[in-house]
Amino acid sequence: MIGLIPVENSEPLGAVRSLLRQLLQSGLVEALFVPLEMESGAITPALVTDPDHLARANPLAPAMPINSARAVSALTGKHSPARLGVVLRPCELRALVELVKLQQASLEEVTLISLDCPGTYEWAEYKTLQHANGTNLTGYLTKGEAYNGHGLRQACQMCSQPVPAGADIHLQFFGADLVTGIPVELDAGLAELLEIAVNTDAAGADRQAVLDPLLAQRAQTRQHDLKAMGEHIASNGGLPGVFETCIRCYNCMTVCPICYCKNCLFSTAAFNHAPEHYLNAARRKGAMRMPGDILLFHLTRMNHMGLSCVSCGMCTSACPADIPIGLVFSMVGEQVQAAFDYQPGKDVHEPLPLVTFETNEWVEIGEVR
Amino acid sequence: MSDQNGFEPRIVAYLCNWCTYTGADLAGTSRLQYPPNIRIIRTMCSGAVDPVYALKPLLDGVDGIIIGGCHPGDCHYQTGNYKTRRRFVALQEILKASGFEDERIWLRWISASEGQKFADTINEFVTSLKELGPNPMRQALAV
Repeated sequence: MIGLIPVENSEPLGAVRSLLRQLLQSGLVEALFVPLEMESGAITPALVTDPDHLARANPLAPAMPINSARAVSALTGKHSPARLGVVLRPCELRALVELVKLQQASLEEVTLISLDCPGTYEWAEYKTLQHANGTNLTGYLTKGEAYNGHGLRQACQMCSQPVPAGADIHLQFFGADLVTGIPVELDAGLAELLEIAVNTDAAGADRQAVLDPLLAQRAQTRQHDLKAMGEHIASNGGLPGVFETCIRCYNCMTVCPICYCKNCLFSTAAFNHAPEHYLNAARRKGAMRMPGDILLFHLTRMNHMGLSCVSCGMCTSACPADIPIGLVFSMVGEQVQAAFDYQPGKDVHEPLPLVTFETNEWVEIGEVR
Repeated sequence: MSDQNGFEPRIVAYLCNWCTYTGADLAGTSRLQYPPNIRIIRTMCSGAVDPVYALKPLLDGVDGIIIGGCHPGDCHYQTGNYKTRRRFVALQEILKASGFEDERIWLRWISASEGQKFADTINEFVTSLKELGPNPMRQALAV
């Protein structure tokens, strides 16, 4: 059902904070995971138990320092410690669903709160924006307008899923008239607990009027950017060209919400080669780039997590060498996901492609043609 | 059949203990001739082959990698080869999308009694790789 959260002074953040306070104070959740805005302006994800701290909750700020699915995995991976509420962007929610399938997180006793996401900025850019004049929160939230004329992170520019699926509470900002309130989709029981009145008119016709062109534009950008990456790979000596500046810092792996291995293969002794290994390769080739195993790392990572890649772009944001990793993984991820007709994060009950099988599929593979 | 300056492909073979490895052994005891280009690594099941086992040799410059397992339905561990099959599909898609030659990695179901088939398959693979040529990764500097 659709309800309406009342907004005062056209200030959506205040209304969201009230909702979060109500969630905590009603006892529906014992702790709330939500980004907080610190005095310095930093957006810091936090687990909050004292409602007073919600005065600085800010899940609307167009910044995404981490993909919070990682944090929710830390909170629920072994077991659920309490009734939790978690505020997540659509891509974070999709990553969390994948982590649940990978048995690294749980949705038991978790209330999922999500919102229409117009996109986020790189951290450095967001810090500049905060101090600039003319930031347009309402236009940004309800129409996906640029926060201050700046470009979003590339992953957000090409994000084709800015509307969350599977949330318990979904704040429907797109097309909303924030003077009257924030439309919210939630079930009747929750609505009653949170004292939100039914208001079927709330999500008006404007929502589609905003969503349709936005989705079309995003789909177009996505297709264009992925195709451009494919062409770049094909014409620049293949994938090695893309990763020529990679220094194997493993930032991409560290920030990836899906990469959950506590001890990645590439951090083990398996890749502490004997000195002769390098010398032999250097002799054979004439010269060998160090530290080596860079393409192997990325291709292995693609094989290990590519099917669950939700295209959040944290990897690109974290790369110190400005490699568009998210674009490469999105491109490859999309193709391998399509081969299995699989959409990561869509349905928590849909098994991971590599964990299941049919006896009668791909019967032509492996047999002599 | 093109033989570029006597190019002999180097092949790494991951063969499952119960079927393909035994099939290879049968080829040997039957004195069937097949090209000596393969280096065999025995795994207990084709399902134990992680994609990195195929990717590492490929990026080190090995010309071909072949994974051998039991026919679907005959896996010694019931379902291992079904997973191999899916993993192989994923690996091929990723290689194709990344611009690599996916023809260098083969998956073949060869049972313990199919010694001739094993010999024929290796023959076929060597021929195919000779045509494809040496793996460019062998000389690539920035891998």
